[in-house]
Amino acid sequence: MQSIRSTTRLLLQRHRVSISNTLRFTSSSSSSSSSSSSSSSTSSCGSWSDNESRRLGFDSFSSTRAFDSASTYRISSLKNAAFSSSVVPKQNLMYSSRCFSTVGDSVQNTSQVSSEELASDVPQRIKFKRLDKTAKHIMQIIDKEAIEEVRTHREIPKIEPGYLVQLKVEVPENKRRVSIVKGIVIAKRNAGLNSTFRIRRLVAGVGVESMFPLYSPNLREIKVLEKKKVRRAKLYYLREKTNALKKH
Amino acid sequence: MAAVPRGLISRFNQFLSIRSVTTSPSESLPHCSFFLLRRFSSDAGLVDGAGSDIVGDPTRIIEAKQGEMSKSSKRTGIIAVKCGMTALWNKWGARVPVSILWVDDNIVSQVKTVEKEGIFALQIGCGQKKPKHLSKSVVGHFRAQGVPLKRKLREFPVTEDALLPVGTSLGVRHFVPGQYVDVTGITRGKGFQGCMKRHGFSGMPKSHGASLSHRSGGSTGQRDAPGKVFKGKKMAGRMGADQRTVKNVWVYKIDPARNLIWVRGQVPGAEGNFVFIRDAWYKKPDISKLPFPTYLAPEDEDPSELEPIVADLGELDPYLLAE
Repeated sequence: MQSIRSTTRLLLQRHRVSISNTLRFTSSSSSSSSSSSSSSSTSSCGSWSDNESRRLGFDSFSSTRAFDSASTYRISSLKNAAFSSSVVPKQNLMYSSRCFSTVGDSVQNTSQVSSEELASDVPQRIKFKRLDKTAKHIMQIIDKEAIEEVRTHREIPKIEPGYLVQLKVEVPENKRRVSIVKGIVIAKRNAGLNSTFRIRRLVAGVGVESMFPLYSPNLREIKVLEKKKVRRAKLYYLREKTNALKKH
Repeated sequence: MAAVPRGLISRFNQFLSIRSVTTSPSESLPHCSFFLLRRFSSDAGLVDGAGSDIVGDPTRIIEAKQGEMSKSSKRTGIIAVKCGMTALWNKWGARVPVSILWVDDNIVSQVKTVEKEGIFALQIGCGQKKPKHLSKSVVGHFRAQGVPLKRKLREFPVTEDALLPVGTSLGVRHFVPGQYVDVTGITRGKGFQGCMKRHGFSGMPKSHGASLSHRSGGSTGQRDAPGKVFKGKKMAGRMGADQRTVKNVWVYKIDPARNLIWVRGQVPGAEGNFVFIRDAWYKKPDISKLPFPTYLAPEDEDPSELEPIVADLGELDPYLLAE
């Protein structure tokens, strides 16, 4: 993070970015339109030696760029932290021309920054990350977006081990009946969209554990009834005990 | 435009071959000079090649326009980068395991025709590359074609009606969600592996007297006749890192704004590696729905405004039907 800050300052000195520039997270073919005025958001003027690459290459670069590193996310958080006009030029610079188009959208949405957009300059230094880093970054973004989308449709409360929870589950195999499941959360697994949690309950005198994906569309409603005090992340010891949790 | 070799020696050869082809000097001189002039001024347009009939064979003009796909035509494939796998829920609440493939700036970098190379094929390039990372010969190839530098090149044989001009960019909309594709990639390398993992041998008992050979391959042949071990005998060795094709992968969703494809199931290779996607051979898609030769975006379309397209799962709930 420090290195990113220092490089952005370096770029600042080189370009003298004015505050009123707009940061455009370049989408596909808006390159031609966006190659206006304002100084480059990103890379230095140490552009390509090949002129033809500039002419021809940019059109291909304009369509979906690769992802920048996770620096984009950090920068958005920096923005969030101290958004003032004086701070903006220092921070919102490090986007290469190959910004993934929706990074801007999702970052802007999530960080609630009505940041202005910097138009991307035509000769931009192309930064290459290792392809698997880019791939991982893409996966992260997709995951985040999918979670955001589910959260806007449904209200999903915070679930921690030790909560007493009541769920309304729709079971598609069982002719789509909505059943009510009430139990204690004994484990939670964080995996982005595939986060799951386990519930232990007594069904007809028999202890039953079931696992539910947190963002599944079949979970109609989640209601937290009570929060017990536990000192563990996984409460598998409850399998051997009865009535272990009393106080909360 | 054909890649004409521009060295001095090849120029000489062309000049000599023009000389040899033409009949009488009086007629031929303006002809020759015309050709020479044309050659010196521009690269394009003329079919060259030592001994070929320069005057006669017209160059093939390939345009990028929509055509009709027939049963015997074959479209190109595209190159993508494997990003990873997740699982999504489809419209009916069922889980779909997906691999996400990112189609990064595909462009046609060379067209191979029967007249020159002997087959009809399109060479597709994917990704970006800096010239300092490429050898001069490769940079020269891109420069001759007039195409930006790409990281990966791969040739896809096509039929004649599916040829595209050099510089056409291919996108994710080349495929239709709901169709089947074949995905080829270099599998993950597993290193030196024993024959149980590599070939699926069952090994030997863990106890009952089996000595020191629980996971070994056992016998390797007969005795005096043949007196040797046959070539190709399955033994331990390096596993993985070879090209495999996964067939009949169902395309679940495409995102034209970001050039992503979601396919169901696994594809060969590790994250960050290139895969090559083509129309399925066995579960052939519906011809009328595929853009042929490829999806050519209309001028006024802004790719960033497009929404992801999900495969059509039908109107009837499969769970309610199963009663």
